[in-house]
Amino acid sequence: MGQGTPGGLNRQGPGGDRKGDGADKKDKKFEPAAPPARVGRKQRKQKGPEAAARLPTVTPLTKCKLRLLKMERIKDYLLMEEEFVTNQERLKPQEEKAEEDRSKVDDLRGSPMSVGNLEELIDENHAIVSSSVGPEYYVGILSFVDKDQLEPGCAILMHNKVLSVVGLLQDEVDPMVSVMKVEKAPLESYADIGGLDAQIQEIKEAVELPLTHPELYEDIGIKPPKGVILYGEPGTGKTLLAKAVANSTSATFLRVVGSELIQKYLGDGPKLVRELFRVADDLSPSIVFIDEIDAVGTKRYDAHSGGEREIQRTMLELLNQLDGFDSRGDVKVILATNRIESLDPALLRPGRIDRKIEFPLPDIKTRRRIFQIHTSRMTLADDVNLEEFVMTKDEFSGADIKAICTEAGLLALRERRMKVTHADFKKAKEKVMFKKKEGVPEGLYM
Amino acid sequence: MAPDPNSASGSGTRDEATVKVLAKDQKKKDEKKDEDLSEEDLALKQQLELYVERVQDTDPGLQKAALESMRQEIRTSTSSMTSVPKPLKFLRPHYGTLKAYYEIMGESDLKKYLADILSVLALTMSAEGERESLKFRLLGSEGDIGSWGHEYVRNLAGEISQEYAKRQTEEAPIDDLMELVQQIVAFHMKHNAEPEAVDLLMEVEDLDLLVEHVDSTNFKRTCLYLTSAARYLPGPDDILVLDIAYMIYLKFDEYPNALQIALFLDNLQYVKQIFTSCDDLLMKKQFCYIIARHGIEFELDDDMVVEDEDRYALQDIINNSKLSEGYLTLARDIEVMEPKSPEDIYKAHLLDGRASAGASVDSARQNLAATFVNAFVNAGFGQDKLMTVPADASSGGASGGWLFKNKEHGKASAAASLGMILLWDVDSGLAQIDKYFHSSDSHVIAGALLGVGIVNCNINNDCDPALALLGDYVNKEDPSIRIGAIMGLGISYAGSQNDQIRFKLTAILNDAKAPLDVIAFTAISLGLIYVGSCNEEVAQAIIFALMDRSESELGEPLTRLLPLGLGLLYLGKQESVEATAEVSKTFNEKIRKYCDMTLLSCAYAGTGNVLKVQNLLGHCAQHLEKGETHQGPAVLGIAMVAMAEELGLEMAIRSLEHLLQYGEQNIRRAIPLALGLLCISNPKVNVMDTLSRLSHDTDSEVAMAAVISLGLIGAGTNNARIAGMLRNLSSYYYKDANLLFCVRIAQGLVHLGKGLLTLNPFHSDRFLLSPVALAGITTLLFACLEMKAIILGKYHYVLYYVVLAMQPRMLLTVDENLKPLSVPVRVGQAVDVVGQAGRPKTITGFQTHSTPVLLAAGDRAELATEKYIPLSPILEGFVILKENPDYKEDN
Repeated sequence: MGQGTPGGLNRQGPGGDRKGDGADKKDKKFEPAAPPARVGRKQRKQKGPEAAARLPTVTPLTKCKLRLLKMERIKDYLLMEEEFVTNQERLKPQEEKAEEDRSKVDDLRGSPMSVGNLEELIDENHAIVSSSVGPEYYVGILSFVDKDQLEPGCAILMHNKVLSVVGLLQDEVDPMVSVMKVEKAPLESYADIGGLDAQIQEIKEAVELPLTHPELYEDIGIKPPKGVILYGEPGTGKTLLAKAVANSTSATFLRVVGSELIQKYLGDGPKLVRELFRVADDLSPSIVFIDEIDAVGTKRYDAHSGGEREIQRTMLELLNQLDGFDSRGDVKVILATNRIESLDPALLRPGRIDRKIEFPLPDIKTRRRIFQIHTSRMTLADDVNLEEFVMTKDEFSGADIKAICTEAGLLALRERRMKVTHADFKKAKEKVMFKKKEGVPEGLYM
Repeated sequence: MAPDPNSASGSGTRDEATVKVLAKDQKKKDEKKDEDLSEEDLALKQQLELYVERVQDTDPGLQKAALESMRQEIRTSTSSMTSVPKPLKFLRPHYGTLKAYYEIMGESDLKKYLADILSVLALTMSAEGERESLKFRLLGSEGDIGSWGHEYVRNLAGEISQEYAKRQTEEAPIDDLMELVQQIVAFHMKHNAEPEAVDLLMEVEDLDLLVEHVDSTNFKRTCLYLTSAARYLPGPDDILVLDIAYMIYLKFDEYPNALQIALFLDNLQYVKQIFTSCDDLLMKKQFCYIIARHGIEFELDDDMVVEDEDRYALQDIINNSKLSEGYLTLARDIEVMEPKSPEDIYKAHLLDGRASAGASVDSARQNLAATFVNAFVNAGFGQDKLMTVPADASSGGASGGWLFKNKEHGKASAAASLGMILLWDVDSGLAQIDKYFHSSDSHVIAGALLGVGIVNCNINNDCDPALALLGDYVNKEDPSIRIGAIMGLGISYAGSQNDQIRFKLTAILNDAKAPLDVIAFTAISLGLIYVGSCNEEVAQAIIFALMDRSESELGEPLTRLLPLGLGLLYLGKQESVEATAEVSKTFNEKIRKYCDMTLLSCAYAGTGNVLKVQNLLGHCAQHLEKGETHQGPAVLGIAMVAMAEELGLEMAIRSLEHLLQYGEQNIRRAIPLALGLLCISNPKVNVMDTLSRLSHDTDSEVAMAAVISLGLIGAGTNNARIAGMLRNLSSYYYKDANLLFCVRIAQGLVHLGKGLLTLNPFHSDRFLLSPVALAGITTLLFACLEMKAIILGKYHYVLYYVVLAMQPRMLLTVDENLKPLSVPVRVGQAVDVVGQAGRPKTITGFQTHSTPVLLAAGDRAELATEKYIPLSPILEGFVILKENPDYKEDN
């Protein structure tokens, strides 16, 4: 980044979408003409260009005329947009004007600019700043600086002579954290989950509903759960469910793996956790998903090495973030593990993680559903009798079933058949069960 | 996982390699390939080479044997998707020789055989655009087409469509092609490839063939594909496609689906046909519910229902006379019967400290806002805390008390709000409003008249109580009484095309002495009553009225309602508007362009016509001198046209963002309203953010429009986020009476019917567009374009036009005696399943409830029990359930 934003230039006032802000501001000054300024709290980043550039999805994925027609419709609209914009640019060239404004602003800012720290905001136009060396100064803030984004402690740009605030440095979010943001929603949706109805319902109640319908909880007078933990045997769909949540929600979805929180240097791990939750709060409503939490969340005991202590400290920071002194707003936490018994009890106490959702191995009904899901897009021969596999006594997890279906499909492909036969399934099942039972040493798997 | 390493992976990699190499030079490949071919492959290759030589042999017996075996080899190994089959690959070098030999071969069966094989070989060999595969196929033996595999058929279909286009331009005969098309379509329909069959038939412009080929297993998917394609096809293809879908549905006795298409086409002939060809009375009742939701006037006759008694019962359903009952059932089930006061909606206690400071606003405005909020929130419940509280304290009671807390024209809105509270409940509604008729205050009478109209909205009653009550007041002296009566008639008879009212109202338009406001409302009412009818006489009357206006009157905001009235006549009727549009070119220039834009927007409303959007955008791109007003309707027009389908809707939102950036003030004012129309009762987060930003705009009219639109997009959803925004806005604007009024109205809209109602004119899975509902919203939005003059002036009662679009957003299941029946249903986000293979799920992320349930925008319901069979495929509104005869209890 490293660029100051000339805030007041062409930005519209911010939306008053955060409760109370409008009112807070106005207590001090009755100035209804100006939209509520949000001094002291970082504004949510404008998702403008990114969100606007996104095109609607076109649904039949198979190649057909309908898809073509829909694509063409989108193209038509884009062409119209282009036509309109070029027309407007021709009639009223904004470029030059913007260029002029920009050079004026650059003149005012001077060069080079020094980097400093905002210590305190005195009023609308004045602040106390400090640079890395030397004393603190009482200086003015130039009018084109976006005051909504100024907050005590933020990095600012100062004029090299008069030291007035001429811009601010944005975005000092840890790049580690920004990587965790799920930009592209995963393709798995709730429809791809077989069974787990109760689990879906619980996670929806605990995570999605509070973000979309807070009024329900408000009406009944309870605080919605803060987080859930998903536990169960490997392959039972914990991560899949989290993916489905990410797919369906419009909230920011941050995903981390527990092992990512373990860092090389002392204090880095807890810092990352803090940073993670700060970003989640900034981008709220948001959902934080921490997979394999047992990497950091194991029971505390007398640690012998510095590394272990560091991991424990990371967990303590996590505890604090989950239910600490600062209240978390619209941030929901999903944890996933397959070893819940080894987790620290403090992590799981109500108030931090209110809901524990178990993922059992699928029963017969669920198994049937999972088979249906995986086979609904496959071309099956008439002789396929899935019931045989559904009713079998072997212990299957959802992942095993998927493996069987994929394997059967591959077998059919190998023989260049368009249809998957019963024999394929049988063979596939044997193969998968073989792998599960003997192919891998017992201790490693399960 | 590692599949059996010996066979699968080995051959897999080799295939891959060959595919890559195929693209390279032919000879090189042959040399290189020979050594790393496995033994079997080598044998196969030599075998095939032998066949090729033999084919050129002179002995017909040998030829035949060679061809047979070659054919055998190819057939056994076609239909693969990952690589080119080996026999084809080995035969590639010989394609040229075989082709040359074919040319010199004598006419015989063998020649046809060879043509078949060449046709298949051409699949991989023939150069782009030569269509050799098709050529040889036509020369060949016309055997079973599917025996050569899917890929071959698909390729052939592509070549046919090219060939067809070419022959069309040359006007060459196409009989041989059509024969092939027949075969291919039959093949596709048998193999779950309905979209491909439909696509091919569309290419060769012969969809009629489809009717023969569909069967009971695939007609649903075929029709689904057809109907969703219709939205994107240019006219007149779309009508054609829907006609076919209609015919297919009829063929398989899927009457409710057929009815929906008939309603979409606005073809009452089809509707009649459905009624006459179906002989299940229960099914007919379901039809009536569908028609009633669509909100069109429909008269049953002897042919459609034979028994008189049944006919009355059915007509009752079409007349919506049970709507109120159903709605109240829903309300009782959800336990929201308790009336709410405006204070419950404002939730001032959630704002800090200064809530009471709102007293600085003049209290009449405040009270008027409360009146509207009260009316919107308690709409249809029959009880509230302001107007209907029992009057036992003193005669006239508290209700009279509230009425007289409003002044002058405010009283009209207050009296009319009683109509809103008693919405759809004609009997008790008329009884309660009756008391106001005896008032001496002309505003109260006007309000009562309007109230009567509102009560009767969307309800038809045989005794025409509205006409009987209102008819006499239309020609009274006092203009406010006249407006009340005229508006009342317009609302209660919207879409009815009632001649009697036409005579009464056109007389007013011709009356030179009638004041401008009366004329404006008359035009709107006529437009509503004849919505989408293209009625010549009404159009003439409005046109004359427009021409009679003096220069100064044409500048008045109220005059702009006249073109709207004219536009409503042509709502969604596309080309039919052209004659009138020509006439409008002769108008005074002050109104000409406005009229032009209005007509264009209305005529193409709900069609998704991209060309018209382009036209309207073009008008918005101009920069005008002061005083021109036509860009407002143009912006609204973009929304009206584009709202037809999801893609257009989202793209239109993008376009509006651009307009916002470049447009001038008069465009910016219309944009929030357009956004409100696009997402009506559907609070999308991105639109919500845009509107929230605009609600703090420095231009107060932009802010007002944005605030009202916030109400519209959240209408009837109880959306907590919008409610929160509006609460903050109310404290932010507490000094600005006008904006505060808008905020209050928006708050009322968000809690419309305590969250049980929707304003969305689209229903039945967003397929059908109710013309009356759209007309009502359009009128409101056009009035909002002139916010200061109309809504904030003394015509605030135009807000009641919103009643035309109000419908319960419920699913109410009833048994065979039309009594409510509670069954479990799954409600979830609708998934687009068009063109998907298998049995995909239609909803996702569902939860199970028991009916009656509320359906949010984009939700779909499906029955969670097999005990009953719904008579309508789309579970919305009233649905009749029939017991499933095959159902057995689980245990």
